[in-house]
Amino acid sequence: MQFTIEVGRYNPEGQYAENAVPGHPFPPPWNASPVRHYQTFNVELPEHAVVLDALIEIREYQDPSLAVRCACRSAICGSCGIWINGHANLACKSKLAEFTKDGKTRVESPPSMPIIRDLVCDMTPFWDKHLAVKPWLQNKLPIPPPDEEYRVPNASMEELIQEVSCISCGVCLMDCESFAVNQEFLGPQALAQAYRYAGDPRDAETKERLGDYSKAGGIWDCTHCFECVQQCPKGVAPLDQILKLRKMAVDAGFTNNPGTRHADAFAESVRDSGRLNELTLLPKSVGFFNIVEQLRTLPGAFNLIRAGKLPPLIHKKIPGVNRIKTIFERVGGRFK
Amino acid sequence: MIIDHDVIVLGAGLAGMRAGLEAAREGANVAIVSKVHPIRSHSSAAQGGINAAIGELDSWESHAFDTIKGSDYLADQDAVEVMCREAPQDIIEFEHMGVIFYRGADGRLGTRAFGGASQARTYFVGDITGQALLVTLYDQILKAGVKVYEEWFATELFMDGGACRGVVALEMIAGELHLLRAKAVIVASGGLGRLYEPSTNALICTGDGYSLAYHAGAPLMDMAMVQYHPTTLAGSGFLMTEAARGEGAYLLNSLGERFMKKYAPNKMELAARDVTSRAEATEIAEGRGIDGNVLLDLRHLGPEVILKKLPQIHEMALDYLDIDMIKKPVPVRPGMHYQMGGIKTDVEGATIIAGLYAAGEVACVSVHGGNRLGANSLLDTIIFGRRSGRAAAGYAKGAPASRGGEDVLRAEQARLQDLMARPYTGETCAGLRLELATMMDEKVGLYRGDAGLHEALDKLQEFRRRYQNVAVGDKGRVFNQALTFVLELGYLLDCGETVIRDAIVRKESRGAHTHVDYPERNDVDWLKHTLLTLRREGEEPEISHVPVTITRWQPEVRTY
Amino acid sequence: MKVAFWPGCVSKGACPELYVSTQAIAEPLGLELHELVSAPCCGAGVLSEQNAELAEALNGLTLAMAEAEGADLMTICSTCQGVLSNHNYQLKNDPARLQKANATISDQGFSYRGTTTVKHLLWMLFEDIGIDRVASAIKRKLTGLKIAPFYGCYILRPVEALGLRERPERKTYLDQLIALLGAEPVEYRGATKCCGFPMLTFNREKALAMGGSHIIEAKEKGADLLVTPCPLCHLNLDAQQPDAARVLKKDIDVPIFHLPQLLGLAFGFEPEQLRLNHHVVPTRGALEKVELKV
Repeated sequence: MQFTIEVGRYNPEGQYAENAVPGHPFPPPWNASPVRHYQTFNVELPEHAVVLDALIEIREYQDPSLAVRCACRSAICGSCGIWINGHANLACKSKLAEFTKDGKTRVESPPSMPIIRDLVCDMTPFWDKHLAVKPWLQNKLPIPPPDEEYRVPNASMEELIQEVSCISCGVCLMDCESFAVNQEFLGPQALAQAYRYAGDPRDAETKERLGDYSKAGGIWDCTHCFECVQQCPKGVAPLDQILKLRKMAVDAGFTNNPGTRHADAFAESVRDSGRLNELTLLPKSVGFFNIVEQLRTLPGAFNLIRAGKLPPLIHKKIPGVNRIKTIFERVGGRFK
Repeated sequence: MIIDHDVIVLGAGLAGMRAGLEAAREGANVAIVSKVHPIRSHSSAAQGGINAAIGELDSWESHAFDTIKGSDYLADQDAVEVMCREAPQDIIEFEHMGVIFYRGADGRLGTRAFGGASQARTYFVGDITGQALLVTLYDQILKAGVKVYEEWFATELFMDGGACRGVVALEMIAGELHLLRAKAVIVASGGLGRLYEPSTNALICTGDGYSLAYHAGAPLMDMAMVQYHPTTLAGSGFLMTEAARGEGAYLLNSLGERFMKKYAPNKMELAARDVTSRAEATEIAEGRGIDGNVLLDLRHLGPEVILKKLPQIHEMALDYLDIDMIKKPVPVRPGMHYQMGGIKTDVEGATIIAGLYAAGEVACVSVHGGNRLGANSLLDTIIFGRRSGRAAAGYAKGAPASRGGEDVLRAEQARLQDLMARPYTGETCAGLRLELATMMDEKVGLYRGDAGLHEALDKLQEFRRRYQNVAVGDKGRVFNQALTFVLELGYLLDCGETVIRDAIVRKESRGAHTHVDYPERNDVDWLKHTLLTLRREGEEPEISHVPVTITRWQPEVRTY
Repeated sequence: MKVAFWPGCVSKGACPELYVSTQAIAEPLGLELHELVSAPCCGAGVLSEQNAELAEALNGLTLAMAEAEGADLMTICSTCQGVLSNHNYQLKNDPARLQKANATISDQGFSYRGTTTVKHLLWMLFEDIGIDRVASAIKRKLTGLKIAPFYGCYILRPVEALGLRERPERKTYLDQLIALLGAEPVEYRGATKCCGFPMLTFNREKALAMGGSHIIEAKEKGADLLVTPCPLCHLNLDAQQPDAARVLKKDIDVPIFHLPQLLGLAFGFEPEQLRLNHHVVPTRGALEKVELKV
């Protein structure tokens, strides 16, 4: 079956003459340009072929100058994370038949990462963020003797298999919305690995970790959009791990941040009236004494007033609000 | 650039990183060189588990015996004793590092059954044991701050006065060639799976280390011992872990029979891999296969077991064959998987070349002899990774600083430039590699014969001549993969030659080497290793032998 | 068609135009809106994250209320849709959780049996009301307008609970609807991305940069306006737009419409009836293209 692939090319050197191969039958490589652009190829492959099959076919028999990272071809080494039709995916796990849109599939290096060459991006931001969460076991004392293991329930180990399944392919970070606007954000992979250690019963520094992860660029800079959960090829569900960290951090007492105040304000409003009171939500979340932030939100309030969209100053309670109060009393936890 | 270190490790898989970590702990200025990021190493593809005799109900002697019997008595028993004795502590060390091993009800490490083992002693993490060990070890490397030259491709060992004094490597992103000088080099560059088609191995398993050491004059031992894994996915050749059979999966032929009854009535599907692979090949050859495959049936294990303990292979069968193993059996066939032979070392990882060490799959101590038991490879990497790291660091303390090498660097630069200047003749790197790999599978695969082996050798020489016409299809500097592929094909040709020659020499059948002209095992004449040493470039290797070291287990008839 | 109507909190608070326009289009679509006036806020995912049991009980109550009405639960907010779908999925597939939630709410007069279907108005247009009915209600084609759909994360992810594996076409309904109404849907990457609202109080600047960048992308592809089925997205994209422009140092000035407002215009209602004169970002420019004044 024939497939058409549009491949994003880029070569920082850009000198055509030096890149030409004497006597090569194919046209001069498009890679002779320091400007990112696309080159179209056609390949003949079985119908269940994956994007990586196409790239390897192109590299081996059509244009040997195509640079792409790949090794295992079976979604365990994590090398081949690239953009396919505008979303990050593992090339070895993406069936061409499923991804073909308007007769072609477009692949390129993800724009959110610096580019080295063709489909090879610079993963340094990814590796740096991984390192930043101290991703190693800080052994809980006493460490058992050399011939004895820690005794832990199997359930606690099985619970971490989801996080350990991460193959560091980078797909989650490549498509992370928060990372796209905020380079400081630690990102889904690093935070999922942070939970892998914070959630390990053999780790000693859990409290310290949670404090670190609650700072700027950490767990509260995630916009909760599920992109990482959707794109991750191994089911790690990084967002779920971030949410676990948030809960752990709040339970551990790291509550002096807008995230916790936001949740408290939200819960308070729902408990008292059954509904969200937008009027008080923003000010309460940033903290009443945080004058700077309060002033920043004022223009927004004025805009709402001008447009006649300001919520009623007296926030109405829903009929039967006692039901809600009862629910909070029963299972509200710290929101009681 | 010329950069100095005490110890250089070539390869960042389990063996390489373990060696690097140990050398660092010994105070050496160590650096790991890897042509891919450490996490991309093929160690991550190991699925089933890692062996050790832990606890009162098991003994290292039992583990050792199983290993030696599994090796068809070609393994050096002193080396096997070292590995099996030290296994428990090394596994526990990894547990202390944080590996999330499976636990029994008492919270202690729990096991699963594996091929060729007299009792269950395989410790595991789902079916991602290799990955779990690799990522934990990588995190330890980060914690220890060990230097890694990532995506640096080694092209030559720097030899000076008969000793190994460093590595010449191409920094792929910048496109610059460097000389990394060291007092000791540990080669831990993994296997050579791309020499065969089909193979479970990744595209990066191109036998770099075997060739580099070979050209440095280090003997390669028992290269004919190439393992075929019984259960590789039909078509793609991806690995379907032995753990499936460990959890109770059946192997069925086209008649629905558990055919292993005929070949290994006691161990059935958990016989040694060479026995199982040959059984499958026989069934298929005699017309009881299904499109050249047999079936791996896991349906009776139930969804709970499959999804909890074998999630990765479940996903793979779905992704690549559209088969849900909970509902249908999966077509599998033998595929090349592992090289038991390799660079000869002692139990400290040292070769006969001063300053040159080796560990992991690329090395041959020999602990696997003629056939490797499942879950012994992961063990091999961490035991001998640690030992070689320690030994290399110790050696480096007493060795003089590595000097010179500017001329070597210049010569290597010139050689690569010449390579880049080759004109295009129509010969493609990929095409030639495929021909080589297909030929190896046909003539030097599960079954070998004199005629076929000699044809293979002739073919190989022809491939070598054609290799001179393979052009590098990219003249750029930045991340030039076309260049590294051509270099890798060169390594594969060296590997092919040594495998074929070793197979020709060994006139018996033992372990993975099944010689149709000499179908019996011959302990009288062949209880010994074969060594191939390159004395001069361009010449045939010198063939020599060393006896197998026997400590307490005399060779017996090997049945399962 | 009778529906258990869950308006959410924002349409009764800072986005009254959404509530008003939903009421307006009910009649042409044949929708009988039975409002769940006693249902609590869904928690917007914030409560789910901090206290799953609490969120499950609250949403279980809402689902039970719809069940008591004997009709599907209709939402007009992507966030409500996502949160309610998620909790419904959990409660339907985990008897232990269902039991727990019911234990908390049952003495309040409600018990959830697990039979409610949660659907956004957007989905109902295609799956229950039918596009023929929708097409027949059109009195004013919106020809000449280039409209960029902005779905809102929670109506697209995660796929399991939202039934997107069985019905992947739900991921394109908004594009299809725009075309059906006679306008030209704009294709741009930001259509399925996050508006930044969940992060607004944590990191205001980055949240605004997020939403603002998607509007700018749509604008550069020729969009006259954005339409969204989520009032929280609307708040971030409309009410915060002037601030987003300041953060990104770029002019934006692209009006944001609610889904029912777009339908209302097509069904012949006047802009004031749909409160299109009560947006922060003026809608005048876009309306002029279909010869409407506001």
